[in-house]
Amino acid sequence: MKVWSWVYLLAAFGFIYLPVAVLVLFSFQGGRLPVPPFDGPSLQWYAEVLADRDLMAALWNSALVGAGSSVVAVTLGFLAAYGLARFVLPGAVWVRALLIAPMSVSYLIVGLGLLIVLTRAGLGLSLWTAAAGHVVINLPLAFAIIYAAMGAQQQNAERAARDLGADEVQVIWLVTVPMLAPAIGAAFFLAMTFSWDEFIIAFLLTRFDVTLPVEIWSTLQSGLSPKVNAVGSLVFLVSVGVVLLAEALVFRRRR
Amino acid sequence: MTAPVMLEGVNHWFGGHHALRDVALQIGAGEYLTLLGPSGCGKTTLLSVLGGFVVPDAGRVLIGGQDVTGVPPARRPTTTVFQDYALFPHMTLRDNVAFGLRMGGVGRTERHRRAEAQLALVGLEGAAGKRPHELSGGQRQRVALARALAVGPEVLLLDEPLGALDLKLRRAMQDELKAIQRKVGTTFVHVTHDQEEAMAIADRIVVMNAGRIEDDGPPSRVYLRPATLFAADFMGEMNHIPALDGETVFGRVPGAPPGRATVCLRPEALTTGPGDLRIGRARVRDAAFFGAHVRAHVLPEAAPDMVLVAHLPPPRVPQPGEVLDLSAEAGSVCIFGAP
Repeated sequence: MKVWSWVYLLAAFGFIYLPVAVLVLFSFQGGRLPVPPFDGPSLQWYAEVLADRDLMAALWNSALVGAGSSVVAVTLGFLAAYGLARFVLPGAVWVRALLIAPMSVSYLIVGLGLLIVLTRAGLGLSLWTAAAGHVVINLPLAFAIIYAAMGAQQQNAERAARDLGADEVQVIWLVTVPMLAPAIGAAFFLAMTFSWDEFIIAFLLTRFDVTLPVEIWSTLQSGLSPKVNAVGSLVFLVSVGVVLLAEALVFRRRR
Repeated sequence: MTAPVMLEGVNHWFGGHHALRDVALQIGAGEYLTLLGPSGCGKTTLLSVLGGFVVPDAGRVLIGGQDVTGVPPARRPTTTVFQDYALFPHMTLRDNVAFGLRMGGVGRTERHRRAEAQLALVGLEGAAGKRPHELSGGQRQRVALARALAVGPEVLLLDEPLGALDLKLRRAMQDELKAIQRKVGTTFVHVTHDQEEAMAIADRIVVMNAGRIEDDGPPSRVYLRPATLFAADFMGEMNHIPALDGETVFGRVPGAPPGRATVCLRPEALTTGPGDLRIGRARVRDAAFFGAHVRAHVLPEAAPDMVLVAHLPPPRVPQPGEVLDLSAEAGSVCIFGAP
């Protein structure tokens, strides 16, 4: 029995990580095609990626869009959660449902909807519009995470702070936000990784400046190359970095 | 700092529930007052009205002669020690205690100095750099007290502050609370459902029930000569003896009103010696040793259906079935007319 549970575990992780491992392995390919046999290791494709100005610009754009849209999504999500958790509002159940609902809408629909609205409104497509799209998809997530973390403990501490003379801004800034830091941090890093990986909305809502997934997609148009593997590996590395950072900054403090 | 408090005609409803009914109360400057009553009696609501967390539907609240009925908690000269302490878990004890001073615009050095002095007052000198999770329940209680006192409130409100502590610690903290109150001189209003706690610390006890004030006076008076039957029962065990036109099964009770009435006797008022009110022969059903007294259930022969509780002098514990001859002094009897 015990053997089988180990086999199952290894099979499950193999299923998840083997494709990534293969992708990373062939980014070190010596030849022109990322297919067996492996004839590396070589860093030539990484050199090429780092020398590619379009890719580097896209990488930077992705970081900007990810950080910016996550800050906005988390701020709005926090304020919505604070309002709904602390005040009795008419129709609060419906407001909550409306805030969460975009989670169930496919990214394609969100992207198309925004594209139609933006085109009609005569607004040009840019990194700003892509970031707006990412706020739309990440706001429900940030709201749900932060709302779930709000409990009686913060509420009592907030009451004590008000009793001691704090105004509403001071209560939020000095008591609520620090007490909810783990949830806020978790929401931020999750939003960040989702934005970083997101393709459809970024593809539909950007034009000249594009994010990394869009740039990778256009590189793929010209066929398979270990260069794409190298970019993919870098993307993976950044995602892993963000997750580790979240682990170190946010979840460590929870103990 | 200290100030008198006055409540006039305070009424409050939660939905259809009449939580406070015509509450009028005066609290002297520097007084230690307890609001005593069962859960749901309105004592915590009344404290919230004093703290500004609840604005009463009717009536006025005056602190130091100023009408503060609609003034929010932040701008009132009151601070509250909450039942669950509500400390800020992400701050050191120093920052917790200094929070109110920081809100008041006191500079860092000065507020830290004052916070450390407050911590010393409650016996936590040297712990200023710790965080709340490193403390025991009793220590958190002290920090909450220091934090509320640090801003120099005129009235300190305590919402069942000792409720989460074990009995021994609670008794020790009662003495300490009283000592601290004497030292700082601030008006303390303390909510509790424990009548022993109320008697241990209060200058004055206000007994509440169903949103109303039942009795209001010094502990000994409220215990010995309660104003209502509810207050009599809530302050401690009471024997109830029904009376009709002043007549009970034990004979005539002077001072009883005409009609139905309840004659009340504290267990310790029943003695085996002679007395004005003769209970007569009574059979012991059971008895237990309590240290300072022996608590016995007795069945008087004059009324075999009645069970009286008597506190007899220790250490002799009477055997079940033993017959005692009991009586009580007329001065220890309280009589309440039928409602």
